[in-house]
Amino acid sequence: MIATNQNHDATIEPKPVSIPLSQLSRGQRATVNTAELDEQDTKMLRAMGLRPDASIQMCRLGEPCIVSLSGACGGGCRIGLAKDIASRVLVTPHA
Amino acid sequence: MSVMDASPSIDRRHRTIAFLGNPNVGKTTLFNRIAGIRAKTANFPGTTQEARVAHIVREDVESTLIDLPGIYSLNLDLSESRVCAACLDGTAAPKGEEAHKPDALLVVLDATNLMRNLTIVAESLDRRLPTVVAVNMIDSARRRGIGIDADRLSEMLGCEVVVCSARTGEGIDEVLEALRHARVPDRTAPTDQSGIERWSQDVYLNACAPLDTLDDDHVTDRLDRAFTHPILGVCSFALVMTGLFYVIFKLAAIPMDLIDVWFGSLGGWVGGMLPDGAIKALLVDGVIAGVGGTVIFLPQICLLFFLLALLEGTGYLARAAFVIDRLLRPFGMSGHAFVPLLSSHACAIPGIMATRAIPDRRDRLAAILIAPFMSCTARIPVYVLLIGILFPDQPGTQAIAFTGCYVLGATGGLLTSLIARRTILNGKSRPMALELPSYRIPDLKSALLLTLDRGTVFLKKAGTLIVAISIVLWWLDAYPQNTMPITIQEEPSLKQTFFFPDGADGEYIERVQQENVKASEQYEKDLAAYEAQHYIPPSYLQRIGSTIQPVFAPLGYNDELTVGVLASFAAREVFVSTMAVQVAGNDDIEDESVLEMIKLARRDDGSPIFNAPTAWSLLVFYVFASLCLPTTVVTAKESGGWRWAFLQLGWMSAVAYAGALIAYTIVGSVGG
Repeated sequence: MIATNQNHDATIEPKPVSIPLSQLSRGQRATVNTAELDEQDTKMLRAMGLRPDASIQMCRLGEPCIVSLSGACGGGCRIGLAKDIASRVLVTPHA
Repeated sequence: MSVMDASPSIDRRHRTIAFLGNPNVGKTTLFNRIAGIRAKTANFPGTTQEARVAHIVREDVESTLIDLPGIYSLNLDLSESRVCAACLDGTAAPKGEEAHKPDALLVVLDATNLMRNLTIVAESLDRRLPTVVAVNMIDSARRRGIGIDADRLSEMLGCEVVVCSARTGEGIDEVLEALRHARVPDRTAPTDQSGIERWSQDVYLNACAPLDTLDDDHVTDRLDRAFTHPILGVCSFALVMTGLFYVIFKLAAIPMDLIDVWFGSLGGWVGGMLPDGAIKALLVDGVIAGVGGTVIFLPQICLLFFLLALLEGTGYLARAAFVIDRLLRPFGMSGHAFVPLLSSHACAIPGIMATRAIPDRRDRLAAILIAPFMSCTARIPVYVLLIGILFPDQPGTQAIAFTGCYVLGATGGLLTSLIARRTILNGKSRPMALELPSYRIPDLKSALLLTLDRGTVFLKKAGTLIVAISIVLWWLDAYPQNTMPITIQEEPSLKQTFFFPDGADGEYIERVQQENVKASEQYEKDLAAYEAQHYIPPSYLQRIGSTIQPVFAPLGYNDELTVGVLASFAAREVFVSTMAVQVAGNDDIEDESVLEMIKLARRDDGSPIFNAPTAWSLLVFYVFASLCLPTTVVTAKESGGWRWAFLQLGWMSAVAYAGALIAYTIVGSVGG
């Protein structure tokens, strides 16, 4: 399984880095980078608003993981993601 | 290219207007506000996708409004996206409508989530159709402090932009007015995904008051966490569903009694008007009893759809999908199957067709296989009848039993999926991503309109298929009849036998004996003639029933029940009407209502047909059995092969038989 190969050291590096969405803490804001999913799933997520550079906020951790598209996205749109998907969407946490 | 492509005529007397937008933007509410109750639901031929269609006349212009399915993008490889794209291209139209390019396109957006919604605007601009953009839910946006500059937006999109609120009615007239003068946008947008994303961000930042720091919505956050909580979420789901069915049972009882009594007196009235004979029997015992036994369930079906529509309107169901996802995953199903499986509770056919939205092929086949295990509305009549017999006058227990039936069916489906995912469909299910719409007060009007729609469909079915089956069954039950003219009215009795006194001589004795023999021969002849004239041959139905009955004997079914079950193989809801027709033909209880008649029906030996073990066994049988010809056909079509359909039919029949046998044995031994 790919999910078990997550790099746990990623969060303690000093520079802004990409971490899996599922490793954000609750209430933390981040910017979406890429999704390591197949083309159809990626397209669907992008159409739903989880696109590169989109600003998100983590609302609920675990299964499901709930993120809110806020900030520049303007609005209370919330998306629920299975943990498997959340662990493959890479984001840069806001300072 | 047709002429319309070059210069879409906006002054035509008849115009077609398509409504396009993301899911959960209030598009259907807006549509319903404009179209009212004149709308009907129509399928796109050859697809599972539905659109609401309405014909309205406004200022001498007749318009056809088409409410397309909600989509995130026209370019996704999903059935609903393809249907919308085809409709805008003029290559597809809902059933009953002519396929041509729409004369105007209304793109509905959610003001509170504008940037994401702009994707579909970009794709719409590319279609070069006369376009109007309606920014809906402006009331919610204002409450949240989101400002939208409609003029600036209009300038950037190159088409008219109207802010409105379908809920309050604000801006609706302006939307209609804008549609009258809709023009092809004089601007274009990028067509590649990254370009569209940059464009929409640009448009958004220019036309909207940017909101970098949106206040956290604590209420939504708390509710979401509760409703998706591993324990709390499941509990609230169970509570909501039990409450739903309790309300259905409680509220439906009143109109059901009324319909029952009404059909009872209709039968009596028609019976009194007509002379005895085949026509009276056909109308009273065939048509009225059959239809009455089905229409009686209209209140429940309407209530179910109404309450489900309200529930969906609150936004709760999307959260429930994740709860279900967690429950389904161990069984090899994903929350993607939630909507198909939930639809299957209305009817397995749209449910099976809705599995097209499941991205993974194996996930999809598994969902198709188990969809008919979900208790559809056609089972409600049977459940109501049997639960009513098992728990008379206990609405609380009835609600629990009713929920139990649904749980039992779903469990059967899940275990089937578990077995399938380890054998023929080996593999894991695909993870899920779903938008969680804002919590809202549901729109009563939309729910009512949907209910009206579903109720009509059910009545049409009752008016055609069920009447036809009732007539055939009545004929099978009433024929063959004895066609001999009746000349002997009274049953002959043995003529007086002559006795001889003591001491009579041999000749006298012989004469008396001869008289006796003659009298008894005459009696035999008279009796045979009488019996021939009054002979009631076993009906075709009885013959079929008694031939097959041994198969169902271990489950406790007699001939009538066997016929009821056999008739159900075409469509399970005819069970009640079949029983009504059979019982009405055999009984002389005129004043009883149809349901009472079925409940009180007796076997040949005088014991009730529906004793406890039999009622339980029937209930379990109907929970599991695939008694619906159309479902089998649709399964074959959707799964791409008859082998899946036969596998489903065979497996469900086997489970039903085994389950019913177990129920019969257990209840029989406990009761005895």
